[in-house]
Amino acid sequence: MKKYIKYTVLFAVALMLLNSCKKFVEVEPRGAFTETGYYRDATEAFNGLVATYDILGYQANNFVTKVDVVDAASDDNVAGGGGPNDVTAMQVMSNYTLTPALGPQDSLWASGYQGVYRANILLAKLPAVPMDDALKARYTAEAKALRAYFYFDLVRFFKNIPLITEPVTVDKAYDIVQATPTAVYAQIESDLKAALAETNFPVTVPVATEAGRLNKGIVHALLGKVYLYEKKYTEAAAEFKEVNGATPGQPSATYGYNLVASYASLWKNANKFNSEAILEITHTSKSNTTWSCLTCGEGNILNIMTGPRNYNILAGKTAPDYISGYSFLPVTQNFVDFSHNDPRFRASVANLDSLEKNGIVTYEKGYMNTGYFVEKFAGRLSDKTTGGGNVELNYPQDMYEIRLADTYLMEAEAIIVGGGDISRATALITAVRNRAYADGLQHPVAPTLQNVIAERRLELAFEGHRWFDLVRWGLAGQVLGSKGFVTGKHEILPVPLQELDNTKLKQSREWGGSL
Amino acid sequence: MKKRFTLIFLISCLLIFPVALFAQDIKVTGKVTDQADGGPLPGVTVTIEGTTRATLTDGSGTFVISAPAGSNLVFKLIGMASKTVPVGSGPMNVTLAQDTKALSEVVVVGYGTQKKSVVTGAISSVKAADLENQPVTRIEQSLQGRTSGLTIASSSGQPGAASSVRVRGITTFNRSGGDNNQPLWVVDGVVVDNGGIGYINQSDIESIEVLKDAASQAIYGARAAAGVILVTTKKGKSGDIKINYNGYYGFSGPSKKLDLLDATQYATIRNEAAFNADAAARATNPALPPFVAPFANPSALGKGTDWQDAIFNNSAKRQSQEFSISGGGEKSTFYSSVGYLQQDGIVTTDISKYKRTNIRLNSTHKLAKFLTIGENLGFSHEKSTGLGNTNSEFGGPLSSAINLDPITPLVVTDPAVAAGSPYSTNRVIRDANGNPYGISSNVGQEITNPLAYIETRRGNYTWSDNIVGNVFGELKPIEGLTIRSTLGTKLSYYGTEAFTPVSFLNSSTVTGQTSFNRQQNRQVNYNLENTAQYSKSVGKSSFSVLLGQGIYVDNNSRGTNITYNNIPANSFEEASLNFNVSNDLRTASGSEGQLHKVASFFGRVNYDFDEKYLFEAVLRRDGSSRFGANNKFGYFPSVSGGWVVSKEDFLQDNKVFSFLKLRAGYGVVGNDNISDFGYVSLLGGGRNYTFGNSGNYNVGYSPVAPFPSPDLKWEETRSTNIGFDATILKDFTFTAEWYRKVTKDILQNPRIPLYLGGVQNPPANVADMKNTGVEFELGYRKKLGDLTLGANGNISFLKNEVTSLGNNVQYLSGGETFQSAAYPITRTAVGQPYSSFYGFKTQGIFQTQADVDAYTGRNGKIQPNAKPGDFKYQDTDGDGSITEADRQFIGNPTPKYTYGITFNASYKAFDFMVFGTGVGGNKIFQGLRRLDILNANYQTTILNRWTGPGTSNTVPRLITGDPNGNFTNPSDFYLQDGGYFRIKVVQLGYNLPKTTISKIGMQRARIYATAENLFTITKYTGYDPEIGGGVLSIDRGIYPQARSFMLGLSVGF
Repeated sequence: MKKYIKYTVLFAVALMLLNSCKKFVEVEPRGAFTETGYYRDATEAFNGLVATYDILGYQANNFVTKVDVVDAASDDNVAGGGGPNDVTAMQVMSNYTLTPALGPQDSLWASGYQGVYRANILLAKLPAVPMDDALKARYTAEAKALRAYFYFDLVRFFKNIPLITEPVTVDKAYDIVQATPTAVYAQIESDLKAALAETNFPVTVPVATEAGRLNKGIVHALLGKVYLYEKKYTEAAAEFKEVNGATPGQPSATYGYNLVASYASLWKNANKFNSEAILEITHTSKSNTTWSCLTCGEGNILNIMTGPRNYNILAGKTAPDYISGYSFLPVTQNFVDFSHNDPRFRASVANLDSLEKNGIVTYEKGYMNTGYFVEKFAGRLSDKTTGGGNVELNYPQDMYEIRLADTYLMEAEAIIVGGGDISRATALITAVRNRAYADGLQHPVAPTLQNVIAERRLELAFEGHRWFDLVRWGLAGQVLGSKGFVTGKHEILPVPLQELDNTKLKQSREWGGSL
Repeated sequence: MKKRFTLIFLISCLLIFPVALFAQDIKVTGKVTDQADGGPLPGVTVTIEGTTRATLTDGSGTFVISAPAGSNLVFKLIGMASKTVPVGSGPMNVTLAQDTKALSEVVVVGYGTQKKSVVTGAISSVKAADLENQPVTRIEQSLQGRTSGLTIASSSGQPGAASSVRVRGITTFNRSGGDNNQPLWVVDGVVVDNGGIGYINQSDIESIEVLKDAASQAIYGARAAAGVILVTTKKGKSGDIKINYNGYYGFSGPSKKLDLLDATQYATIRNEAAFNADAAARATNPALPPFVAPFANPSALGKGTDWQDAIFNNSAKRQSQEFSISGGGEKSTFYSSVGYLQQDGIVTTDISKYKRTNIRLNSTHKLAKFLTIGENLGFSHEKSTGLGNTNSEFGGPLSSAINLDPITPLVVTDPAVAAGSPYSTNRVIRDANGNPYGISSNVGQEITNPLAYIETRRGNYTWSDNIVGNVFGELKPIEGLTIRSTLGTKLSYYGTEAFTPVSFLNSSTVTGQTSFNRQQNRQVNYNLENTAQYSKSVGKSSFSVLLGQGIYVDNNSRGTNITYNNIPANSFEEASLNFNVSNDLRTASGSEGQLHKVASFFGRVNYDFDEKYLFEAVLRRDGSSRFGANNKFGYFPSVSGGWVVSKEDFLQDNKVFSFLKLRAGYGVVGNDNISDFGYVSLLGGGRNYTFGNSGNYNVGYSPVAPFPSPDLKWEETRSTNIGFDATILKDFTFTAEWYRKVTKDILQNPRIPLYLGGVQNPPANVADMKNTGVEFELGYRKKLGDLTLGANGNISFLKNEVTSLGNNVQYLSGGETFQSAAYPITRTAVGQPYSSFYGFKTQGIFQTQADVDAYTGRNGKIQPNAKPGDFKYQDTDGDGSITEADRQFIGNPTPKYTYGITFNASYKAFDFMVFGTGVGGNKIFQGLRRLDILNANYQTTILNRWTGPGTSNTVPRLITGDPNGNFTNPSDFYLQDGGYFRIKVVQLGYNLPKTTISKIGMQRARIYATAENLFTITKYTGYDPEIGGGVLSIDRGIYPQARSFMLGLSVGF
C-alpha cells in the first residue's frame, strides 16, 4: 500500500513542477518569422526585395487590377462580366458612378502603399544586413526605383497622397498628412535618379534568370514617362531617346531594345521577354493559386476575366482555343468602328459576334455584351496550367507595363509638344506603323499630336494606357463624357472614404474635399 | 464468486458486531410509511446518526434497532426525502415524503458532481434515458430542443455534418480560426477541441450537461465564454454482467421539393425578359433589327427535365447497431461497447454517405481502499463521402438542380445531338448506355449536370480516426479528501482521398488531366490536470474546497497534401500514388498547426447550511500562448448563491411547492479563441514574384502588419444569472431564468490607415456585445394506474445587441455576401443584433408611369429611371434619390426564441413519444437563384411577376439586365419568415412480455418504430428553414434535413 501512496504523490508533485512555469505558455511560431528576427543575411534581404516586386503584379481579391479598372473606365471597353454588380469596382468605373465609399480606390491605394511600405522597410533594414556591399547597393537601387514606380501610380490616380519614405511607428501613425504632387514627383525623380547613379545597378539583366527585374533601361523609360506626366518634355525626350536608341526601328545600342517583327506575336506566351519588352510584369502558371487568396497568386487573372462565357466550338469547326471566361471588358463598338480597318485589329479584338454568326462557335452573352472581346488577354486552352491550384487563376501571360512601341510614341509626343527634332518624331511614329503593317512598305503619318493620339489608341489598345493618356491630354471629358466622366472630378480617384477616418488626411477638391 | 461474497458478509458482520454490543442502548421499534398513500415502506435504511449502525425496514415497513437514548435516527430510501428523527420512548411512526425524482439527481459540474438540489449555477442536463433509442448521428443533435438556452441549427443535411451550437446566443463575432461561438466540449474531463465531437457513440452517453452561466462556467476560465458542454460516458457497475443491444434500420427521403419552372414556363419567362429589354432599347434606338425571341415556340418544349428528381433519393438507407457489455466485481468495473452507424444522404446518394464505427472501453480499478485508477477510452473511425457544396450558390448538385434550365435533357438520347458540339469534341461524361449527360447551353459557369458531376467525384471520401480518452488516478488518503490526476489526450488522424477524372462538364468546368489527391493529418492534443478536493460537514454546515491545476496543449497537428497529376487511371478505384508520374506532375504541400497552450490554476469553494442556504465561489487563472506579452495571464472569478425556500418552516406545510429554490450568480469567463501570434509582427508569405523565363517564382516575405500588438488578450464575458427551480403540485417541475451576458474586448482588426502599408490590420480587443434572455423549462410526470404520462417543454428568448465596435466605428465593413448582389446582405452595427440583414426596403411595385412620376422627393423624381413593374424603394435618408445610404436593417437571422416540446406516454407494454422543436422571430435570406447567370431557372413564384398594372405588387417585372436592380439589390424581397415548428421524433414502442423473454435469458426486449422530421410547419418556401453556419439563416441552396422512418430493436440480457 505504501508503494501506491509513494508513487501517487511523486506523480502529482512531478506534474506540478512540470506545469507551473510561465515559459510553458510562451510558444514560438512554427514556420513563420517575426519582423524583429528577420533580415539576417543576403537571402532574407532578397526575400524582402521579392516581396516588394510582388506588388507590381498586384491583383486584389475583388478582381481589381490597375489595368482592368482603367480599361473599364476608357472608351475602348465597358466593365461587362456577369451582371451589373459583378466586380462592382469595375462597374462604377465603367459608368462613372463611383463614390468615395465605392470604387476601386481602396484596392489601388492599399496596394500602392503596401509596395511603398515593403520598399521602405527593406531600405530601413538593408544598412544593417551583413552582406556583400555591391549586392546591397543593387538591392537599394531596386527598392528605390520600385518605390518611385508605386508613388508614380499613386500620384497619378489620387494626386493628393501622403509621402512616406520610412516605416511609420505606432505613435506617428495618425500624424501623417498629404504632400503636394510636386513634392511627390520630386521624390520619384530623386529615387529614380539615385538608382541610375548606382554603379552596381545593372544596365541589363540576364533573361534566363533575372528578366523582369529592374535595370537602368527600365528606369530610364520610367523616368521619361514621369517627366512626360510632369510636362517636362525636353527631359522626357532625352530619357526616351536613351531607351529608344539612335535610330528608330533599329536595336538600341545600350539595351538592345527593338520592335519585334510581328505585332500579334507580342501576346503569345512563348514570346515572353522579347526585345520590345521594357518593363514586363511577370506571371506564371506554376504558383498553384487557389480561390482562397487571389492576391497571393502569380497567375494572371485577366485571362479568365476577359474570356467569353460558355464558349463552345461547334463540331468540325476551327476557331481560336479561348477558354470560357467571365466576359469582362467587352470591347466597345466605338473602338471597333475606329480600328477595324487597322492591321492590328485582329490581334487586339476577338470577334465572337462574327464567329457565332458564321456558325463556328456558341457562347453565352454576358452583361453589356458587344460580341467583341479582348484578344490580347483572352485566355487560351494551350496556356492552361498542368499544375495545382484552380486552373482559372493560373494563366501565365505577362503584362507590358512599358514596351518599346510605347516609349517610341511617348518620345514622339514629347518632341511634338515640347519641341525638338521633328523628323525623329516622324521616324518614331512611322517605325511603329511599319511594324504594324509588316508589309515591307512605309506607312508614314504627319508628326502631329492628333496622330500620336490615334496611334497610341491603336497600338496600345487595352494595355492600360488609354485612360491615363486621355486624362493627361485633357481629352477625357470630351471623349468619356458619354460614359459619365465629369471634367474636374473624374481625372482622379477619390481618397478612399475609410482612409479619412481618424486620420489627418483630407479629401481632394475634385471629390468635395478641401485639397 | 459465492465464496467471496460469504467472506465479505462475514467481515461485515465482524465489523458491526462490536458496535451491536455497545452498552446502554435501548431497543427502538417503529414503522415507516409513505406520506402519499400511507402504505408501508420496506427497505428503508435506518441509521443511528453519527455511527455506522443501521438496519432495514422489513416488508411491512417495520424495524427494530438498538440505539443510545437521546440519539437521532436517519431514515433513507432512494426516491424519498430523508428524515432525521430523535429516538423517542414509544414506537416510532415515521412518514417519508416522495422526493421529486429530478431533485435527487446528481448533476455533473466542472471537476466533480453536485446534487441537483444544491446547484447554484444555470446547468441544463440531459440524461441517457432521454436519448435512448433516438436516431441521432452526432451528439449535438441530441441537445436540439431538449434544453433551454441552446440554439442549434444543422449546417447541412449531409449525414455526419456538424451543427452550429450557440449557448445563450453568440458570445463573440471574431472569426479568427473559424466559428468561435462553438462551446467547449469536455468529455469525461478531457477538453476536446470545438466542433470535434462527432466521434461519440450515442448509446455510450450517460449524461450531457450544458453549463450556461458564468457561475458554472468559470471553472473553465479563459475557454468557457461560449459555453461548456460536459459529456459523461457510461461506466460499469459492480454486479452481474449486463449485455445490451440497440439497433435500428430505416429509410430517408426528402420532405419537400421546390416548385421550379418547367421547360415551357422557362422559355416563356425568358422570352418576356428579352422582349422587355428589347423594348427598352428600342425606345432610345428605333433602328434596331426586329426582335427575335430566344425561344420560338415555348409550348413545344413541354415539361422538360426535372433536375430535382435526378438528385433526390426517396429511399436512402440508414442504420445503427450498438452493442455494449458492462459489469464488474468488487475491485474492477468495466463498460465496453461497439457501435456501427451508416447513413446515406438524400441528395445524390452516390456521393453523399456517412459511416462510423466506434469502440469504447471504460474501466475503473480499486487498487486499494484509498486508491482508484481507471481509464475512459473511445476509438472511432469515420468515413464520409461529401457532395461538395452543401449550402453554396457556387455549384454542387443542389445549386445545379435549382439553377439549370429545364430544357437541357438529363441524358442526350438523340444521336444527331450527341454527334454535335459540345458532345463530340470533348471528354463529356456518359451514362451506362454510352449516351452523354446533357450539357446546358443556357446556364454555364459552375452550374453543371448533377449526374455528370457525380461521376467526377465518385469514390472520393474524407476519413478520420479519433482516439480520445484519459487515464486517471484517484487517491483518498483521509476521509473527505480526494486527490485526482488525469491525463487526457485526443489523438486524431484525418484526411482526404480524391480522384478527379478528365471531364468536360461544361466549357467553364473542364478538367484536362486526371489528378489524385491525398491529404493526411495527425493531431495530438493533450491535457494534464491535478485536483484536490476536501469536503466536510460540521453540524448542518457542509463545505467543500477544490484546488486544481492543469496544462493544455492543442492544435498540435501536422499534415501533408500530395497530388499526382495526369495519372493513368480512369476511376477512383484505379487511382494510386504508386503510378510513376514525372516529378513536375507531382505537387505537394505540408502544414503544421501553431501550438496552442494554456496553463491554469483554479479553485472552488462550496458551502451550504442544511442544504438550505447555498454558496459557491470560483476563481481560475489562465495563461495562454495566444495572449500578448503584456497580458499573459487572466483571472476569471465567479460567485453564486441559492436559497432553498421550501426548506424554510413557513413553507413546510404548503401544498403548492414541494420544492423551491432561488438562485443567482455572477461571473467572468474568457474566450482565448483569438488568432495565434496576433501580438507580434509576423512576416507573411504569398508575396512572390517571378524572375527569368523559367516560370519559377521567388518567395518573398514582408511584415503582415506594420506594427505588433503586445496588449492583445482574451475576450471577456461577464454574465449575471437569476433563476428558480420549483416543484409545484408534486407533478410539475418548473425552472425559470433571466440572464444578461456582456462580452467585452471582442477581438477585431480595427482598421488602421491603409497608407501604413500593412496587409492586415493588427488585432485589438475593441468591441462589446450584450445578450439578454429568459428561459423556462416545464416538466410534468404522472402515473395513473398502468398509464404514465410525461411532458417537458422549454422555451428560450434571446436578444442580442452589439454595443460597441471600437472607436468611431459604427458598423463593420463587409458582411455576408451573396455572389453578385450589389451589396453585402448583412451588417454588424452598434445597437443592432450581430450580422443583421441589411438592404433596401421595398414599398411595393410601381404600377404605372404615373406612379413613378408621383414618387418625388427633394430633387424631383426619386427613381427617375424606374419603369412600371420596378420596385419602389424607400428613400430612407430622404435625400431624394435611391443610393446605398438608403439601405437599412431589414431582419435578424438569429431566432428570437427557440423551443422544444416532448410528450411521453406509456400504457402497459406500449410506449409513445413525440418530440418537436422550433424557432421563431428570425428571417431567412433566400438566395437560391444565381444573379450573375442571367438564364438561370426560377421558382414558380416568378409566374406572379408584374406584367401590367394591377398584376403584382410583390414580384417585379422581368427584364434582361435588370436596370432597376430589382433582383441584384439586397432587399426585403429576399427575406422570408424563418419561424418553424418541426416534429423531430415520433416513436412508438412495445415491450415484449417478461414471461416470454425471460425464457431465453433476456431481461428486456423492446421493438420500436421511429419517424424523424415527420413534418415541419413553416411559411418558408425553401427546402428547409433550419440553416446553420457562421451566420444563421442564409439559404444558398441548403442540403435539407432528411425525413426518415426506422424500425428498431433494443434488448438487454
